[in-house]
Amino acid sequence: MSKLIRSVVALSALGAGVQAASAQTPAGRDAGLRTLLARAESLAAGIAREDSVAREAQHRERLATRFDAGAVTVILPASVGDATGRRFVEGAARILDSAGVIPASFIATRIVVAYAADGVDSLVRAARLDKRVRIGADISAAPDTLADGLLAADVLAQSFRGTLDPEWRKWLPSDMGMGWNMRIEGAEAVRQLMAGETRVGALCLGGSAAGCRLWLGLDRGAMPYQAAEIRKLLTARWPGNRGVASQCVGGSDDACETLVRDSLLIPPIPPVPAGAASRGSFLRAVRRLHGDGALRVALADTAGPVGDRLARASHVSEDSLVTEWRSWLLTGGGQPRVTADLRDAVPAALAAALLLLAAARTGRWR
Amino acid sequence: MYRQVLRSQWLALRLPVVLLAVLGFALPLLTVTYGGALENAPSETVAQWLFASQKIGVLIPGLALLVGLLLGIGTWAPDHAGKHVYALSLPVPRATYVLLRFAAGVTLVAAPVLALGVGSAVAVLSVKLPGGIHAYPMQLTLRFALACLVCFAIFFAISISTRRAALAVLGLLGGIVLADLVLAALSISGAASVSETVLYLLTNWPGPLAILMGRWALFDV
Repeated sequence: MSKLIRSVVALSALGAGVQAASAQTPAGRDAGLRTLLARAESLAAGIAREDSVAREAQHRERLATRFDAGAVTVILPASVGDATGRRFVEGAARILDSAGVIPASFIATRIVVAYAADGVDSLVRAARLDKRVRIGADISAAPDTLADGLLAADVLAQSFRGTLDPEWRKWLPSDMGMGWNMRIEGAEAVRQLMAGETRVGALCLGGSAAGCRLWLGLDRGAMPYQAAEIRKLLTARWPGNRGVASQCVGGSDDACETLVRDSLLIPPIPPVPAGAASRGSFLRAVRRLHGDGALRVALADTAGPVGDRLARASHVSEDSLVTEWRSWLLTGGGQPRVTADLRDAVPAALAAALLLLAAARTGRWR
Repeated sequence: MYRQVLRSQWLALRLPVVLLAVLGFALPLLTVTYGGALENAPSETVAQWLFASQKIGVLIPGLALLVGLLLGIGTWAPDHAGKHVYALSLPVPRATYVLLRFAAGVTLVAAPVLALGVGSAVAVLSVKLPGGIHAYPMQLTLRFALACLVCFAIFFAISISTRRAALAVLGLLGGIVLADLVLAALSISGAASVSETVLYLLTNWPGPLAILMGRWALFDV
């Protein structure tokens, strides 16, 4: 914009100069014109110089800068700044580590590259990162995209999702459990379970392992909804229903089942009643209760339904696994229900005895 | 001798003991004020009820702290008032006297504990629980008893401690805060906060205050 304004000013100055010069004598007019031309040329050169400096500065700002934390490598424009970039990549590493879904060996084969970065090729060559797969990400210097490393973790998760078999891709929550947190997503999962929209959800809440399996969609081909529930959901969430949906609302149970089985109406009626936060909670529970390895082994497994894979990797039955998850979720992260056993009593009694001993050995009347 | 000490302590502390017992009886009953017929209630109602139960449960360790504070400090109130002349005039070693005071104090602590037990039993009998939800009156009462014992012992010891001991504790707390300030001033990255570490050690098993943490819900999954 400033360039345009300057050009207009230069041309106006030239025009005004020519007009003024034409009113003078021929010799004086030539001299005046030359001076004005020289001024205009000097101004144009100045503008070009400033443009070049601005381009250079912009290039410097966009220059690709590498940040590493653990196995995570992110390339960001230099304008992001060292501290912010480091915080961003460390945040991404923390989120990935906390989710425990993606193996470090996979992360180490990828580089997250901000679209806004310039000179990525030369940086990648110089750092000998040519063999890594680049994943583009819309990371700008805007504080909201750099607030934590969620954006980088998310693009890595989506890249990993692409390597999994269709059964996993269908079941895993869209965010792959990145950034799942008990206070927010955990509360949302509990809310979903307790919403009472489906009979299987109510059964699960009541303690039925079979209900939990159906609600979480762990068994291949199982029907988690009753026809009446599908009708109710359709009427409430998709009033202008057509085709198979209208047949279902009209009373055809087969049409209702077809809708769910063939995933024809995913937004109003998801094939798995448990939402992303709830499926994320199941992944988190498996990891917390059975270790990092269990989740990774299950994700590498391609035999049988998702529930079978997770149970096999955790070395427990599927029913035990969903029962553990239910308690873990409903007790806010596996804190045990109120207990009063020897494990609690011994430290309490010891502490009381030590304090009594201290009181007996020291006193105000000594 | 125990009887005399207990009697004197009861006379000095009967009002707080009765008040704490009433609170102990009332707290579990608060849970069931949200409703009792849950057998066939919609799951959302059960969920809200369960959350309310858990929220009320949070008050129980607070009550244990109050029991410890009032009875632990109150145990020594008559001695402090009489400048410890009565204790010094008794023909018993000091350690025995402290033990007697402690035993009498623990006996008084039993009153709010029993009241909480009775309140929990009444609350459990007044509800019909849906499948998957269980009541834990015995565990809750025992945990409350242990928490009261620890809190009572803490305030009992603080109340009789010498100025030197009080200064040592204050000095320790000051040292922890100072260490945190020094670490922050030196900007040592990766250095754990000393106060956070101490708090973690105290409130996590086998720390003495771990008994106050965890879940305290009378009704739970």
